Amino acid sequence: MSHAIRLDRVTKNFGQYTAVQAVDLEANAGAFVSVVGPSGCGKSTLLNLAAGLIQPTSGSVSAFGEPLSGLNRRAAYMFQQDALLPWKTVLGNVMLGLRLRGASAPDAEAQARDWVGRVGLKGFAEAYPSQLSGGMRKRVAIAQSWIVNPDILLMDEPFSALDVHTRLRMENELLDLWTASPKTVLFVTHDLEEALALSDEVVVLSAGPASRVLNRYPVDLPRPRDLIDIRTWPRFSELYREIWAQLREEVLTSYGREG
Amino acid sequence: MAEKVSPRGSMLVAQILLGAAALAAWQGLANAGKLDKFFFSRPTDIAARIVDWFRTGSIWIHLVVTMEEAALAFTLGAASGVLLGFGLARSPRLGALLDPYIRLLNALPRVVLAPIFLLWFGLGIWSKVALGVTVVFFIVFFNTHRGVREVDPVVVNNVRMLGASEWQLVRHVLIPSAMTWVFSSLNISVGFAMIAVVVGEYLGASRGVGYLISQAEGTFDTTGVFAGMAVLSAVVLLVGWGVSRLEKWLLRWKT
Repeated sequence: MSHAIRLDRVTKNFGQYTAVQAVDLEANAGAFVSVVGPSGCGKSTLLNLAAGLIQPTSGSVSAFGEPLSGLNRRAAYMFQQDALLPWKTVLGNVMLGLRLRGASAPDAEAQARDWVGRVGLKGFAEAYPSQLSGGMRKRVAIAQSWIVNPDILLMDEPFSALDVHTRLRMENELLDLWTASPKTVLFVTHDLEEALALSDEVVVLSAGPASRVLNRYPVDLPRPRDLIDIRTWPRFSELYREIWAQLREEVLTSYGREG
Repeated sequence: MAEKVSPRGSMLVAQILLGAAALAAWQGLANAGKLDKFFFSRPTDIAARIVDWFRTGSIWIHLVVTMEEAALAFTLGAASGVLLGFGLARSPRLGALLDPYIRLLNALPRVVLAPIFLLWFGLGIWSKVALGVTVVFFIVFFNTHRGVREVDPVVVNNVRMLGASEWQLVRHVLIPSAMTWVFSSLNISVGFAMIAVVVGEYLGASRGVGYLISQAEGTFDTTGVFAGMAVLSAVVLLVGWGVSRLEKWLLRWKT
């Protein structure tokens, strides 16, 4: 089985501060892998490394067997913060990736209109991001990153700012999209329930600084999954308890350091 | 709706009444001889002068020259401000090198430059344009600089991940971000351009509203001075209103 993304004994220092230490992490093509850990454990650093936005201090990052030099051209990135261009309309934002890659304007626009409809924003194509709710902006961000049809999707707590119900809907929509066109997803979250519900595998990071991978848990829940009910499944609770036993220690450690 | 309009409407009425009362008091005091007409003129005389200027059309040559100078000053100042602001923000070493000198020049009160510009560029429009440029340039320069430097790094990373080349990054992110700052200072820079060229005309010109006022002063024609001031204020307000509309349209993506 080929790795879509692979971090091999990766260490990243920012000056004196070691964010992550000797991390091995890989995701097979088409797999949905979540990374969980307490806040400040370097989860975003791992995504930035996988994206090629930052370079490892030691160790190597490769995508589909090729070592990364510069940006990871096979990956799209969905950021935790709002990353839409505020001066472009919804349509302009969604078609941007295609335009940057040289698609003609009419072609890009036609595809973008299709995607705007797919993420449920028909009628908002000409709106500006400032006129949308947080959940709608996330939909635009999803369309913006999926339209370029990347092999790898890096997602950094994309739904953490949303209310519980919107979040559940967005997670469901994400799974639908992923089922329709399987991509490798590297999903960072601090929410273990979210990680379990979505993923094929959950990777637990230790509290920072110098975080490392503590353990990896395959998630053997059947697909397709209905996220509304999945939290009540016995196997879900079992896995949750097992992983939480470990994660809990890290969260407490991280609280201790902050306090 | 009627309830919303009426407080605003009554405020407007109060505002008009206040102005009318002030003018009436001025007129009354002047008529009664309490205010010397030689020093203070009278609202009716000033109004008559303005009407006369427009009826004979003698005002137009001055208005057109002033507007032309202001427009040139704004265009040249804004263009050079955007270019240099952009260049220095993109090359921090050059920016650091020039920084003290730019601050030094900006600290200079522009009006002292007017005589120098008169010597260099003569009595025609270009000495006024030059004075206006020195004002507009710095406003636009600092705003552009800030717009490029303060662009959201997440947006930059997002666009890079979407496949942008350096030039595409400049075009889709850095320029719009800088323009946001420039547009939101449009009203100030246009207003300052007009003030600067009028000051320039006032200090030495053969045409323009500033020249008109200074000529009237030279002959102790207070009516002409006040009439010139009234026309100038009205034009600046009118231009400001138009620029505000433009600004709103350009920044329509901000709620």
